[in-house]
Amino acid sequence: MHVVMINGSPRIEKYSNTDKIISSFGKGLLERGASFERYAISERRSWDAIREAYIKNEEILIALPLFVECVPGLLLEFLETLPKKDDRTRLSFILQSGFAEGSQLRCGERFLEKLPEYLGVCYGGCLVKGDNFGIRLLDAAGQEKATKPYRAMGALFAEGDGFFRTEAKKFTGPEYFPLPLRVLMQMVFKTIAKKRFQQAAASWGCDTPLDAKAWE
Amino acid sequence: MNLILDTTQEHLGKRIVEELLRSGKRQTEFERIDTTTMQISHCIGCNHCWLKTPGICSIKDDYAPILKKMSGAGQVWFVSDTRFGFLSYQTKNIVDRVLPLATMNLKFKDGQMRHVMRYDHQPDFGIVFAGDGDRDYLNWWCQRMALNFGSRSLGVFHVEQMQEAIKCMWS
Ligand SMILES: Cc1cc2nc3c(=O)[nH]c(=O)nc-3n(C[C@H](O)[C@H](O)[C@H](O)COP(=O)(O)O)c2cc1C
Repeated sequence: MHVVMINGSPRIEKYSNTDKIISSFGKGLLERGASFERYAISERRSWDAIREAYIKNEEILIALPLFVECVPGLLLEFLETLPKKDDRTRLSFILQSGFAEGSQLRCGERFLEKLPEYLGVCYGGCLVKGDNFGIRLLDAAGQEKATKPYRAMGALFAEGDGFFRTEAKKFTGPEYFPLPLRVLMQMVFKTIAKKRFQQAAASWGCDTPLDAKAWE
Repeated sequence: MNLILDTTQEHLGKRIVEELLRSGKRQTEFERIDTTTMQISHCIGCNHCWLKTPGICSIKDDYAPILKKMSGAGQVWFVSDTRFGFLSYQTKNIVDRVLPLATMNLKFKDGQMRHVMRYDHQPDFGIVFAGDGDRDYLNWWCQRMALNFGSRSLGVFHVEQMQEAIKCMWS
């Protein structure tokens, strides 16, 4: 199997969580004897090359961040440039997001389920997982650890069933968090998390409160 | 004041404005912004609006005044072309860049994680679309999007059902 992996994030690769996820997933593909080539839409310069790879190949995987409940505007723009193909081409997706619960990604997933039909190709399923906001802020070892589960999914994908197997469905984790956990997390959000975010901002040279009302 | 953001190639927002005036609304009650000639980039995901310059987008193009108006508006209506059953990328770019209205801080609302909003007032959102949009899907998306930004969906209407949309404006 040869997979064309396209990073659908508008973030340049260096800062993109999707990029780290693709790297880990790719390791899993290689482990099982599959090969891949990878692209990123964040550089408009590469759009012609991506389109060419999309046209020439039959196993396409778009990995993308959820942007306001659906696909990023930039990815929509790129998708408009793709020609129609036939159902010998299979289009699969890795959809990842900031919010952690599976239910947060379902609206985006629904769009992706329908997209292949518009492009004339067949659907290979969608791997769905949240809680990825912080990957890019971790050091190399932390990034490796955070994205390790995607390696197993790469190996699974190389077996040829897209993302339709139970393992891929389970990968999402809980759809909602149980109430006691939510209560606990709410406390963390109001205290430790708030402080951590302000510290992260300070490391970016920001001394303004994160909830500042910019226009008042 | 209500805002009509028109990204359509056919400038369909003009028709809505004509209908509004015909139905007795005053020009001062709403504003239509035609974005087709404006420079509006996609969101590049730099997170500066949360972590470096809270509330301020780092991209210097024609978007900032629009965001400020959106923030103060009672209702925001996206008048959009559709692709793949969804909004056009021009409209989605405008939506993706709404992030400065939220803060990085988190909370739970109705059982799901949400960001804490930056301002006390939030506009409600509605959609008038042209072409082969999937209305059920757009409805679902608009409800979820509005929830994320602490407000509610005003509904989704095909441009041929403009009268229905107009009933929801100022209702
Ligand atoms: C404009 C924008 C909108 C986003 N919308 C959502 C959202 O609706 N739900 C969510 O869970 N995460 C959302 N996120 C978070 C991203 O999906 C998440 O941080 C992802 O890991 C980013 O991947 P990337 O670094 O490859 O772009 C959004 C991020 C940005 C910049």
